[in-house]
Amino acid sequence: MLDFFMQQAMAQSSLVEDFAAAAIQAVATVQVIDRSPVTLRDAILQAVADASRILYAPPQELPASLFSEFAADPRVRANATPDEMVNSAAGVTEAFAAVASTGSVCIDVSFERTGIVSLMAPLQVAVVAVENIVPQPRDLFRADVLDGRGLRRDFVFVTGPSATADMGPLVRGVHGPHKLHIIVLR
Amino acid sequence: MATPVNPADINPRQVANKSDKKALLDAIRMTLSVQSSAVRRNTQTFNRNRYAATALLPDYNELKDRARQIKENAIANLPELLRQLEASVRANGGHFYLAKTAADADQYIRDVLLRHEAKLVVKGKSITSEEIKLNHALEAAGITVAETDLAEFILQVADEQPSHIIAPALHYSRERITALFKRKFNTDLPLDTGEDLTVFAREKLRQQFIAADAGISGANLIAADSGSLMLVESEGNIRMTMTLPPLHIALAGIEKVVLSRTDFGTFIELLPRSGTGQPLTSYVSILHPPLKAPSFAAPGKATRPREFHLVLIDNGRSRMREDPVLHEALYCIRCSACMNCCANFETVGGHAFGGETYSGGIGGSWEAGTGTLMNARFSELCTGCSRCVTQCPVRIDIPWLNENLRQRMNFEQPETGVKSAFGAMTGSAPEDRAAPLQRQFFANYHVMASGAARFPSLSNAVTGLPFVRGLMENVVGLDRRRKLPAFPRKTWQQLYLDEHANVPARAVKSSPDVLMFADVFTNYGSPERGMAAMRVLREVGINAELSLSLPDGRAAISQGMIATARQQANALAKTLLPYLEKGTVICVLEPSVLAMFRSDYEHLLDATTWEKFERASFLEPLQLVWSIAKDQRLDLSQVFRASKSPHGNRVFYHSHCQQRSCDAAWQTIDILRLCGFDAVTSSVECCGMAGSFGYKREYYELSMAVGEDLFAQVRAAEQDGPRTLLASGTSCHEQLWAGMGRVVMHPVELLVGTLG
Repeated sequence: MLDFFMQQAMAQSSLVEDFAAAAIQAVATVQVIDRSPVTLRDAILQAVADASRILYAPPQELPASLFSEFAADPRVRANATPDEMVNSAAGVTEAFAAVASTGSVCIDVSFERTGIVSLMAPLQVAVVAVENIVPQPRDLFRADVLDGRGLRRDFVFVTGPSATADMGPLVRGVHGPHKLHIIVLR
Repeated sequence: MATPVNPADINPRQVANKSDKKALLDAIRMTLSVQSSAVRRNTQTFNRNRYAATALLPDYNELKDRARQIKENAIANLPELLRQLEASVRANGGHFYLAKTAADADQYIRDVLLRHEAKLVVKGKSITSEEIKLNHALEAAGITVAETDLAEFILQVADEQPSHIIAPALHYSRERITALFKRKFNTDLPLDTGEDLTVFAREKLRQQFIAADAGISGANLIAADSGSLMLVESEGNIRMTMTLPPLHIALAGIEKVVLSRTDFGTFIELLPRSGTGQPLTSYVSILHPPLKAPSFAAPGKATRPREFHLVLIDNGRSRMREDPVLHEALYCIRCSACMNCCANFETVGGHAFGGETYSGGIGGSWEAGTGTLMNARFSELCTGCSRCVTQCPVRIDIPWLNENLRQRMNFEQPETGVKSAFGAMTGSAPEDRAAPLQRQFFANYHVMASGAARFPSLSNAVTGLPFVRGLMENVVGLDRRRKLPAFPRKTWQQLYLDEHANVPARAVKSSPDVLMFADVFTNYGSPERGMAAMRVLREVGINAELSLSLPDGRAAISQGMIATARQQANALAKTLLPYLEKGTVICVLEPSVLAMFRSDYEHLLDATTWEKFERASFLEPLQLVWSIAKDQRLDLSQVFRASKSPHGNRVFYHSHCQQRSCDAAWQTIDILRLCGFDAVTSSVECCGMAGSFGYKREYYELSMAVGEDLFAQVRAAEQDGPRTLLASGTSCHEQLWAGMGRVVMHPVELLVGTLG
């Protein structure tokens, strides 16, 4: 029994390592932290630095209480006006899954304002639970992975910041976010 | 031939339709003079990235098999899937419309927008919308269309058609975009970097996104079981198009429908890797609209409920589905791998190697399928090199499609007495005798060669005469700048018989289990090369028998003369069958012929005969040497010593395109290195000669431009001193000779040299 848990833990730790390496390859930044309201708040606020306004979409799966410390920051807008929506420096959402081979996070775009918050601001912060990292993109299309959520939801695989090569050289930061910071909860 | 127009002054739109051959030739001149360097840089970056990204997929081949299977099933069951999809979309709360024609689709979309009183529409990249000229239809109705993909934005500003299926403006260098924007927007902003240009376009488009009444997107895949869409992008504009406005219209061809959302799992691994060569692009959206999230209300406006329309267009696709050959084009997932690995495409891009909407190797079938046959004229630029066949994620045999288009275009040509007589004399099949003289000439090269071989000195003297070359250029379009292979005093077969005549039959230890095929190119063009191959085999204990020299059909099939190719293939198969039935290994020196036996014959032989070919062993000679050495633990470095080579041990080796597609090139490289040669190898997809292609007067410049990449690699490899040039294909020899001006050897000749 102990062996089983050890194996699970080892498999998970290699998935996290693969995930972080792939995400960095895709020009995201990754941080692995303990699962507590205070550490999460500190991690997010460090990532957004001196942003004067932070868009926030409350989570669908992670307990909202985990974000309670962060949400209490006066710069955070959980119910941004349209004007605030287009004029904020950062957007924070949950990711319901992540992919180790590609360093992607999966964001539900039908759940309230999660999609739009993850899209409009120059800095995107995504928070994902370690147990929701799957090995490959194809795993999101399996009924036996993450209870088949990937087969039911409207979502987007986000891999790094938005980018284009249409203007000649590769440019990061086009219509979507210019930077992607991923926080993995142990 | 010569046009007074400065190629730089041609707008790509003027030459988009290439049903007139002059447009094709003008387009080649225009792209070579204006676009080539940007096209090369961008396609070759995609190409390198794709090789790297697919190499990281441990089950790449299994995924390709599965993708092919999914598409085959989907196209076979398309009517049923469309019914299922309609029900799924309606159950999700969306609207479904199946448009028979481009005009139907335009009208439906326009009516939906007018009903919503939409003034401004933001659009994600959709090549299908180019096919139906949607922007034109909407603008005529007073609706402003904002292309939001930066490449489409450039094209909208420049009024040009796409030149590539996933990067439609890849023919634009940064410098040319700067000049375009400064001119069109009349601005003094610096705009001198990619960042400047991106910020400039983003600011303009951000305002449009916020104010837009509707969004129009394409779709990469659609699942019938759930009405789900998959959309692949990197900029975030497609996400905004689908997320911000209340009205979303997705437009796609009916061939994008697959059975189930679970099928996306296969394509999500293959599509981005095969396209840009990224494991995933920045954003891959998986949705079954309408989204449940509220739409975005611009500051000061109220949120409106979401509405979704899926518009699928037929526009010729059902006819393609019934077509015994072209239906394969419907499997295309539009990843662009076939363009990025195509040497001609890399050199001119889709404004020359493309039509009004679709481009590249697969583009001809699409232009013919959604338009008319002659719109596919640009598919002449497919040389049949087969590099794309190995790179296509759904394994489409693109050269075969283009050879069929060529055949159909040959059929459209008027029959003339001269062509018929020439065809009858040279052995064209009766149905192929309407083909242009040039095609019949190249298809029946063996007839000319065998005739000339009877009087080699006379033939060489005659073909060396300037007025004869002029005549050949004018009558069959053989470019006079090309060196013609000199006809040798004796053919390969004569040399072989001479050698055997000098040795008592009993003394020859024969190896009846290996037959060397005397292809016509080597037999009449380079017999000493053929003899060298047999000598190399003898050194590892194989005393091969030499076959008769018969045409294999390669030359004919490349001219679209499929009936002639079939005739030649069947005659040849008859002589090879007894060997195949005995289990004889067939050695083939010329890689383009090897590829015929290994794959093209599937199209030319009946099923039972093909089955025998499929089971047989056709090997490039050094492939055979490599496996014998491995099986017998033979140390080749003791047989062929580079230190004894009269040509030194520094070599540059260019393998043949079809040799690589047959997985028969790395063995040569391995042997060269094993034997102690310092071998630098080329990394170009094709030398540009590609059989007869580079000999044709109208394609000489293009062929040499393609070759320039190879010549540059030779020069780079020789910075620290000269190298002996090696190539495995007959036409690669001619091309390297043309570019470097010196003798090119076959690796087997180099190896024989070491024997003293």
